[in-house]
Amino acid sequence: MKEKILESLRDAIVDCDVDQAVKVARQALAAGIPALEAIQQGAGKGLDVIGARFSAGEAYLPELILAGDAMKAVLDELGKALAEENRGLSAALGKVVIGTVSGDIHDIGKNIVAALLAVSGFEVYDIGIDVEPKAFVKKAEELGANIIGASTLLTTSMPYQQDVVQYLADSGLRSKYYYVVGGGPVTAGWARKIKADGHGYTAADAVEVCKRLVKSGQTPGTFEPVIIEYHQG
Amino acid sequence: MSLRTEKILRSLDRAYTGPVCSVKDWDTRVIPNTIMAKLKQYGLEKTCDTENPINCDDELADQFYKAGYELALEIGMLNVDTERIIKIEEDELLDTLRHKPAEITLGSGADSVVLKARKPEDPAFPLLAASLGIVVSEELYVPIVEGIVKYRELVDVLHGPSIATVYGRQIRSGTPYETLMGRYEIELRREALWRAGRPGMANTGVAGAVTQYGHLGGAASISGPGNVTMALCPVELKTNFSVFHRIMMAINYDMRIRAGGFSYIGGYAGPPEGAALANVAVDLLIATILDSDYTSSYVYDIHLLGNCGRKALWANSVAIQAVSRNTRLIRNKIVNETGGPCTDMFMYEAAVGLMNHCVSGASKTTQPRSAGGKFTDYLTPMECWWCGEVFKSCAGMTRQQANEIAKQVLPKYEEQLKNPPKGKSVQECFDLKEMRPSPEYQKLYLDVRKELMGLGMPLDKIYNNVALPR
Repeated sequence: MKEKILESLRDAIVDCDVDQAVKVARQALAAGIPALEAIQQGAGKGLDVIGARFSAGEAYLPELILAGDAMKAVLDELGKALAEENRGLSAALGKVVIGTVSGDIHDIGKNIVAALLAVSGFEVYDIGIDVEPKAFVKKAEELGANIIGASTLLTTSMPYQQDVVQYLADSGLRSKYYYVVGGGPVTAGWARKIKADGHGYTAADAVEVCKRLVKSGQTPGTFEPVIIEYHQG
Repeated sequence: MSLRTEKILRSLDRAYTGPVCSVKDWDTRVIPNTIMAKLKQYGLEKTCDTENPINCDDELADQFYKAGYELALEIGMLNVDTERIIKIEEDELLDTLRHKPAEITLGSGADSVVLKARKPEDPAFPLLAASLGIVVSEELYVPIVEGIVKYRELVDVLHGPSIATVYGRQIRSGTPYETLMGRYEIELRREALWRAGRPGMANTGVAGAVTQYGHLGGAASISGPGNVTMALCPVELKTNFSVFHRIMMAINYDMRIRAGGFSYIGGYAGPPEGAALANVAVDLLIATILDSDYTSSYVYDIHLLGNCGRKALWANSVAIQAVSRNTRLIRNKIVNETGGPCTDMFMYEAAVGLMNHCVSGASKTTQPRSAGGKFTDYLTPMECWWCGEVFKSCAGMTRQQANEIAKQVLPKYEEQLKNPPKGKSVQECFDLKEMRPSPEYQKLYLDVRKELMGLGMPLDKIYNNVALPR
């Protein structure tokens, strides 16, 4: 019974079926399956499948996004039970506010990172494109996030990535948020220069960077950034 | 009111009155579902042949055209600012296909060039615009551009590069700095063209303009039908008011319109076949909805951050051939290299990618994307010259010949596609006073050139007419 429910939950995520995922999540609770187990052994396994298929070129961006939506619905449904279990998933994996900075309407890179973060178990709040620096901080404060991710494809929008971290510092909030930057022209050198906490060359690298940051437990803004950078060959 | 104005206003009106659709619904349901259904309907699923990356099958290309034509009529383009779909009628598309000029003149006087529609295996030389918007330092802008346009036989149109600062100030997109930069970049380009003795060379857009502000800032300085505005649409099959601003600017300043929309393998369009199909549709839609004189759309692989891998080569070949064989639309097709200056990887990527575009029927390309366009000053004239040499030399080759060469060159670089070499900056591998590559870069060029000629690439076609480094 339990295995069947977990398998159904996994399949609902793989099928990107929000309604079915919520329905099975409720069944899991009714069957006495701990919320954390339902997430990790059911829904989370579905995300693993989608992530692997995407990496192999067998699944595409829409599936990543929709599977992330289904996962979010499951987390919403199981959130109360998770809190009661006192082992909140978001505390374990992180809550991310992500967007493309001011002056830039490119969204595909940001969308891929957001979707990959979601299918890796992060709670992701995508605040869109052309986002003003303070809006990142405002949303992170509102949601109680612990990671802020800022993307851009434009060299002329890179200064806004610096503005976000400066706004955090000037607001006395720098130590609350890991700050991660990425995008086409963004380099490891730039991430270091603006005192970001992390940077990845690819979308998958960005996820790995976020995982390492959360796992490190260090105070944001107080350590050498976690960088997975472009090969210098 | 001109016919062009009437067409654009019709599209703009539809951006306010067309069917409502959210961006998310468009990206995650409408685009993937419609494209996958169309692929299935035409039996085009799993037709990507990575063992033969340059398509040689006319029937397959024609099937992609038919499916892309239907897709264009069925789906239209989403205007993201109003979240409404701009749809077109079949008679409008047919009007585009019947009446769009098959050749246009760019530039002026002795520096003018004719941009023509081409067919697959066409012996006519395609044109090369250089460079892409790679960022270079303000103080290096003029000498780099002077070097880029040095050889009339290789580079036909000036497109870039982008400038890092304006009067020493950091440029922030969407601000008055960007507006000021628009005019400033054009002034620097003029100086470089004058120094190179090519003052009438055509300009495309303002390379550093990332919003309409930069374009509007520079438009008055490059007005007239010899120059071209540049409007790039969001992926996939979307447009926005920033694009319309640039189109209106072209109308106001009597400029040519180059508009593009890209298709991503692994993105909303899905597999290589889906991206190829979307690319056919976007060429037809942009020419109609935005009334472009020519389009600049291509397929890109989001897993490789470029388009020189087998899947993207195949998708570009079939998409370009589909439209080349069935229309007389003029199209600019870009190769996105990932290797940097002074690397054999860049030279191989450019050779295979441009050979593919040339034999498939592209009219023009814009090059190079050295080091993926990621690093400031990682652009030299040498990459531009190499791209011109390869792209033009391949005119008249058969697709079979090109495919055989591609199969031999791909193994030389494809393992590095996910981790390409950064290469060297312009200061490290090019002498901007003598306008020559460094001895190391020159040797690399000569070695790779000889190697590719040994494989059958007819590079002597251009080389013997130009005083290239020897």
